[in-house]
Amino acid sequence: MIQGIFYARFFPQQGTKIVAQSPPGCIVPVAGVDRACLFDFSVLQEYIIPRKAFCNRYITVNDPEGKYSVLGFPVSIPNPRYDRNEFIFNFGLVVECSASGSGSSTGVDQVPYERVVRRLAATFAEMEKQNGYLSKDQEHRPLEDRTDDGLDPLQGPIGSYRRRPIESLLEIIKEDLNNYGECMIPVDDANTINMKLFPHHPVPPEVKGWHVPVAKMKFADIVDPTWDLTLQRVIAHIDGVSDVRRIAFAADVSLELTQLALRHLLYYDTILLLDIFFFGACYAPRPGIHDFVANVGGMVDECANYVCVVGAAGGVGNAGSQTEGSGTRITVTDTNSKPGQNPADRNGASSITNGHRVSNYMLIKLMTTFCVGKTVAEWLKGHMDAGFDVLRFVDVRRLVQFGVIKGCLYRVHKYVVSKQYLAALVTGQARPLAGGDPLQLYTDGCHTFDQIITEQNLTDAEIMEKLKSFPAPAGDLTVIYK
Amino acid sequence: MALPILPSPSNFLGVALVINRSRDGPRFVFHYPPHVAAGSPNKSCRGDDIDDDDDALLARLSGSETSASSMQPAVELAQWNHDDHLVTESGTQIVPWERVAGFPTKDLENILTPARAYHKRLFQVSLDPIYCVSYPIYVPENGVWRRKKKQQQQDRPETGASRKDDDGTPTADTDAGTGTGTARSTDKTISDADQLEGRDPASKPASKPAEEAEDKKSSMTMFNLVFFLQPKEHEVRDLVDVMFVHIIKKINKAYKYCQQRSDFVWKESKRILALKDKGREDKRKMSSLWEEILSSSSLAASMQDIYDAVSQNKIAAIQLDTAEGMVTHSVQIPVPFHLSDLPQEGEGDQAGLWLTTANSLMTDDELDEPSFLDKNFALLLLADEKKITAELQNDPEGTAVSMVEFVRHCKPTLSFYQVGQQSSNILTPAEVRKYAQHFIYWRRAIAIPPLHARDMYIVNPNCDMRRLPQASARWARQFPLLPALPNFLAELGVAPRPYKLHCPSKAHRPVYMAMLAWLMRGGWVTQLCTFAYVVVWPEIIYEVEYTLEAEDIARAKRVGREPRSSDSDLSGTASLGDVAVAGFGSGFLPLLDGASDMASSTATLRDLSLSHPQSVADPLSPGSTPSSPLSARPALSRIAIDGSSASQSTPAEQAAEKARLERIADKAARELAERATAHARKAVPERTTHPSVNNARHLIGITPHIILDAKKATGKDSLYLSAIGQRLQDKADASVAARGAAAASRSQHDRSNNTIPPRDNGTRDGKDWDERVANMWPLFLKYFNGRSALERIALQEDMKRKDVWNLLTAMSEYLLCIRHW
Repeated sequence: MIQGIFYARFFPQQGTKIVAQSPPGCIVPVAGVDRACLFDFSVLQEYIIPRKAFCNRYITVNDPEGKYSVLGFPVSIPNPRYDRNEFIFNFGLVVECSASGSGSSTGVDQVPYERVVRRLAATFAEMEKQNGYLSKDQEHRPLEDRTDDGLDPLQGPIGSYRRRPIESLLEIIKEDLNNYGECMIPVDDANTINMKLFPHHPVPPEVKGWHVPVAKMKFADIVDPTWDLTLQRVIAHIDGVSDVRRIAFAADVSLELTQLALRHLLYYDTILLLDIFFFGACYAPRPGIHDFVANVGGMVDECANYVCVVGAAGGVGNAGSQTEGSGTRITVTDTNSKPGQNPADRNGASSITNGHRVSNYMLIKLMTTFCVGKTVAEWLKGHMDAGFDVLRFVDVRRLVQFGVIKGCLYRVHKYVVSKQYLAALVTGQARPLAGGDPLQLYTDGCHTFDQIITEQNLTDAEIMEKLKSFPAPAGDLTVIYK
Repeated sequence: MALPILPSPSNFLGVALVINRSRDGPRFVFHYPPHVAAGSPNKSCRGDDIDDDDDALLARLSGSETSASSMQPAVELAQWNHDDHLVTESGTQIVPWERVAGFPTKDLENILTPARAYHKRLFQVSLDPIYCVSYPIYVPENGVWRRKKKQQQQDRPETGASRKDDDGTPTADTDAGTGTGTARSTDKTISDADQLEGRDPASKPASKPAEEAEDKKSSMTMFNLVFFLQPKEHEVRDLVDVMFVHIIKKINKAYKYCQQRSDFVWKESKRILALKDKGREDKRKMSSLWEEILSSSSLAASMQDIYDAVSQNKIAAIQLDTAEGMVTHSVQIPVPFHLSDLPQEGEGDQAGLWLTTANSLMTDDELDEPSFLDKNFALLLLADEKKITAELQNDPEGTAVSMVEFVRHCKPTLSFYQVGQQSSNILTPAEVRKYAQHFIYWRRAIAIPPLHARDMYIVNPNCDMRRLPQASARWARQFPLLPALPNFLAELGVAPRPYKLHCPSKAHRPVYMAMLAWLMRGGWVTQLCTFAYVVVWPEIIYEVEYTLEAEDIARAKRVGREPRSSDSDLSGTASLGDVAVAGFGSGFLPLLDGASDMASSTATLRDLSLSHPQSVADPLSPGSTPSSPLSARPALSRIAIDGSSASQSTPAEQAAEKARLERIADKAARELAERATAHARKAVPERTTHPSVNNARHLIGITPHIILDAKKATGKDSLYLSAIGQRLQDKADASVAARGAAAASRSQHDRSNNTIPPRDNGTRDGKDWDERVANMWPLFLKYFNGRSALERIALQEDMKRKDVWNLLTAMSEYLLCIRHW
């Protein structure tokens, strides 16, 4: 929120003065306005109109109380036509301080306002240079010097053209930015100020070929023909199963461009990146699983809606509704809203064909039995042996992805390490392919099997097979899970 | 806990000292490093097209301005090595140190000497793109830095408190945020307060008038140690925060302390300024001048130390050589040494941090209790014990001796509590705690759950594989005859099992424990802990519900043929007909909702379950109906009120009212009878030895229930828990009965343990064992909350690990276990 906005000017005689401000009295007191100033102007004025060396750059300063920040861009226009050959002004904003000097961490993000300040400075500097917009305006004397001479501001002393006084201009800017986040204000016949506050997103991580993008919204519903063509082709193939490399191939787009397009989506937080799902992969619980056990926010029910397999017999149900908060594109197929009508046996598996809703307990049981050193296939077998036919009731891939997305599970990755290669890395020799084996590059412990699979276009088993003929002494290679 | 944004040479550009004098105005005293880069505008972050025209306009503005003002040929400036002096054609001398971060020091010294309003507050000014952050210190209003001697002597007895408040150097903010929940940094007081304290007597009241005069002469009105930062756009707040709280404030306070004691800052400033003025005249090379200043002024040297250490995120130890002796002070930005969950992809710099929930999953009341921490944590020294001992022995402080003692006793396998005991009580628990926190805060050690060969350790999912080549080389040097690091990690990662199984023989145990400590230190492994919840099987749920219903019907009967006061009481029973087989719960209506009802019936339930189930089956028999007058009373009193109001009305009305009440009573009685019949029709709860596999028909449709926190269980949950406790007790009783027939007992016992074979039959034979299990159930309940690692029960309860595991195994039928770090 902009707390105040002002126009300050340096006068050869009087020094730095506030010419216009909004709301009235926010920077310097004015007659008839009974409210405290936001801060002591005399303390901060040397940062509002600083020494010449600091002019023409974006300057911010906090007030001593640590409550507000003043964002400004002091502009100095050298020209012989001015007194002292220079015209100095600053359009500044006052926002809540973001630094913790005050102890609160609830300050606003100042980043979006920097552009606003720059735009104001650029526009008015240019207008001043072209026709002396600011300097010709006699109305804009220091506030305290202005006597109430009854002049209609719109019929100012420069009677030839009517224009908005800067004070009201500032007020509109402040109000529009605070209320709508953008403004479009005609300053005079020729100039309009267009500004918008853009939220700041952090730089997204890199998208790798072995990531699997999962859409957080239905792109099909919001895409329109004006979108970037590459992006349009890429999003058509985001299905939560295909990895980036496969998407690039399917969309007939180069891998680099696909990664770039996905990174854009990531920047706007519209996709998630997961790992490739294999039945041979290994997953294990992480602390977030306790939320699942406690069914925080109905997580287990959401999971049930997402993972339970729809049987052929149970045609009822309200398919197609979007689960909220899941962040994933989940088509809900909850066939029976009343669990009681669906007598499932005590282990949660339904004994009747049209029962699809696995009980919460069973889902928790399934989720918590993942473990380090057990592949999904082994996990599956364990449950089959215990008498629960997982595949009939649950989409295992969805269950795992749900767990990963919700922070209940993590993927235990597989790495291959060559001790010889490690030793070579330490001494700094033999960095490139010494033995000529294309896999050697991957044996430093920093490359997961997923990466090898996508980059070398091999299956897990094929890689293991190839590693057998790896040119190294016996026992040199080890496979690490982490 | 996320890693804070830390300073690095890329976002921490330099430090500078600026002072202001009453007559001569501000002066830029010194800066370090010698060449503070002019911050490059971070266009890359902003780089959208929208801004371009603005920037172009503004660039034109500043461009024209600078070219007009600067008179040097650009070529010459471009070639300038920033070390020599330049003389322009017009005779202006360009001094290499008079331009810092792209600005002339003449201008900087003005803008960096803010008004008194900023005294001891955050002062932060950004000069695109550089942020200048500081904590300006002003001379007291009376214009004299040095405190009056008289006042000082008065203060002396209470120095501790008063100075801490005012100067804040020792304690003020040290507890702001250290890396761990266990370590709060009272430690700073240990070193700093003592050091500062010790020097007090040195300040001899010398010739008083002379000093007063000197005070006046000094005329420095403020000093300001400014930090030049260039954070990335979105990191501004975090970086400024972290630097201000942990570094800027503390250093300026240390300077203030020295200035107040011995006019240190002003004297050093004068010396540095004199050197610089002379250097300017002699046109000395900047590099040689800076060398001289750094070697001759401890103030300048301290600025160097601060920059060099803080920009590398190390501990900055500054030494200020004041007239009254050496003042030392250390500052650092505390960094967490562990994470509770895996970092998001893209937050790369957290790799290598140890993963544990040992600190984060504790509840507040546990954290407040020091003995809890004592028993749960051990200290793992991050450096060699000998090295730390040597460091301590160099320290002349009095506490050093007992700290050495502490280091000698500390083993990663011993909890603090055990350390206290092992040191034959030389160290008090408070001391152990204090020293441990000291070591942790100053990054010499970390707190870990004590290592144990029976615990399981897995490869830390967050370990930094990029360090693997170096680490395996070091490992090979340290443990030459043992498996290579990659092999050992591979072995740990394959399938989790107790650590001791990795160890080939008992003789190898010590060295394997050393290996484990080494791996922990490097964040290569983490403990795999087990967390448990109580599972209530349908058999138990049914039993409890059945008993509750029986009890409720019995109570209703006892209220007797008395009419109920309102229909609403009974409205709930209308649907009783179809309860037999139904939905989630068990088909039982929520008969009891009030907590008090629940509490009152807990006791009865226990009574009931003691008796044979058959007796419960007939709720109509007066013998087994429990008396609960509490719940009956409200109904009666309401009737009484009804009666009194009725007595005031006409006989006709009374008759009508009476008829109505009778009708109601009839209905109630009818419904009660229906309920009783329905209840009687239900299958009688039957106790099997293994409720988890009871597939009886009446249990179909009931899903197992998970109790999230057994310690805080209320209502039905607590009934379930006591029912389970009862089961365990029954088992013990059963074995008592079967004691005569030992063979039978053993066979039953074997059957009961068919899932997990007993590890040790000797200790857990028959009655005694089952009895113990039953007795421990209520004791262990408090750990079944999904937050307490079962591995720590032994430490907490001071029991043997093996014993605890066997007990837990015996209870395992009722537990849902989850394993993670």
